[in-house]
Amino acid sequence: MFNAIVSADTLRATLDSVSVLVDECKIHLTDEGIEIRAVDPANVGMVDLRLDAAAFESYETDGGIIGVNLSRLEEFAGMADAGQLIQLELDEETRKLHVQIDGLEGTLALIDPDSIRQEPDLPDLDLPATVVLEGKDIDRAVTAADMVSDHIALGVETDDEVFYVDAEGDTDDVHFELGRDDLIDLVAGDAHSLFSLDYLKDMNKAIPKDAEIEMELGEEFPVKMHFDIAEGDGTVTYMLAPRIQSD
Amino acid sequence: MGNADLRDLAVIDTVAYDDLAGSVVAVDAHNWLYRYLTTTVKFTRDSAYTTADGEEVANLIGVVQGLPKFLEHDVTPVFVFDGGVTDLKEDEVQKRREQRERYEEQLEQAREEGDSVEVAKLESRTQRLTDTIVDTTRELLALLDVPVVDAPAEGEAQAARMARSGTVDYAGTEDYDALLFGSPMTLRQLTSKGDPECMDLDATLDEHDLTWEQLVDVGILCGTDFNEGVTGIGPKTAVKTVREHGDIWGVFEARDVYVENVDRIRSLFLDPPVTDDVAFDAGIEPDVDAAKAFVVEEWGVAADEVERGFERIAEATVQTGLDRWT
Repeated sequence: MFNAIVSADTLRATLDSVSVLVDECKIHLTDEGIEIRAVDPANVGMVDLRLDAAAFESYETDGGIIGVNLSRLEEFAGMADAGQLIQLELDEETRKLHVQIDGLEGTLALIDPDSIRQEPDLPDLDLPATVVLEGKDIDRAVTAADMVSDHIALGVETDDEVFYVDAEGDTDDVHFELGRDDLIDLVAGDAHSLFSLDYLKDMNKAIPKDAEIEMELGEEFPVKMHFDIAEGDGTVTYMLAPRIQSD
Repeated sequence: MGNADLRDLAVIDTVAYDDLAGSVVAVDAHNWLYRYLTTTVKFTRDSAYTTADGEEVANLIGVVQGLPKFLEHDVTPVFVFDGGVTDLKEDEVQKRREQRERYEEQLEQAREEGDSVEVAKLESRTQRLTDTIVDTTRELLALLDVPVVDAPAEGEAQAARMARSGTVDYAGTEDYDALLFGSPMTLRQLTSKGDPECMDLDATLDEHDLTWEQLVDVGILCGTDFNEGVTGIGPKTAVKTVREHGDIWGVFEARDVYVENVDRIRSLFLDPPVTDDVAFDAGIEPDVDAAKAFVVEEWGVAADEVERGFERIAEATVQTGLDRWT
């Protein structure tokens, strides 16, 4: 059993943060809320998401797992105006999701969860540097790097207490740095890793510009980016594997 | 090269390369290389395929040009090499040898006539998998960290077995016989431009209401690498008659026909010499510089023939996976 009412904004933010990586996902329904963990087919980018029951206007379930085609559910959610409420109700017999937005009703066929790619194990990461910054700074770094290259280096200079972004293209390059005063917080530690911009651009699309992003970095290690959604009643963690750096 | 009649029966769909991301394919190495030696390596210069000493190196160019497509789509190829030649295949091997000799004669003539296009065409057809080709291919694959498996006998049967046992997701071969070897999902056209096609065994059996054994009987009636087909029986008739009479012996009795060694041919498909004892590391971390030195310096392949291929291999393998940290 699953019957919930949620604001269109919250549902869209939730779905968007997963759909930038995968087309289909499993949604775990628990007493505390919903949980989604997914990795892209190449095993490079991962999302780990939790949306608490408190993020819903109403939320009831007796547990279970449903498989969802994200773009279809996003289309349904897209029919609602911002702030409008969306009711989601699972029909156990037909294994369809009943969606209601005021007078608009529809049913969405679910996917057999067993047919969806297995959920990944969380990487075991002990990352030495932590940077807390605004989503708009990530957007700026990604946009600047995208002008010149298809990959981006993220790092922390321990001595200078600086978070920096480097992108080198064939002919042009950009460098962007933020000192302790420009950042919300900084735990300095030696860190430098190279990432594919394709993935980071996709993740950036789902990162709210005004959100506080906690970014953890290491030396040739995956980056972790952690932020809240639904006014703190939900959290999203992205993990992205690095590229091998040629010397 | 198997029997193309099977194509009329097989359920085959094009599959987007992007949808294969993350999968592992057991590639019949000889079949794959043969394609590169005969059709895919385009000949801008006839000297590109042999060294000054006359050793064939088109296989090295083929590997460098063929691998990026797998790696760029995050598909892991496992190359399965043939072990000993199955006795019954002698005929086919003999036939190919004769055909090659014919080509070689024509090649000689074209050379005398100075017809360079014809020479190039024929040269590609006379390529064969010599020991040198097999050895240098394996060494290059080792430098590129691409997994290799040795089949007890036929590579194709071994690749099919690995797909059947779930060790890999697909077998990869042009040969329709992969169906008879019981490969559940077989990718074809891995060397072609564009997307490959996937041959689905269960869907094929469902469509014709046959069992795997019956499909093998149908294949034998139409002709395989191991036997001539029965005159007058095409794929449609074969399906009908096997369904009607249950198995190939029923067909023999009802139609008064016969295929030599049918027991052995059947068991070559249904129970071929294969092994489940295979181990490989699907994480590919190539030493591109060493591979390039091997191809260009040691084997004298013109650097510009393989430059782009090596670049693509390097580019496709710089991305790590998160599973490295779990």
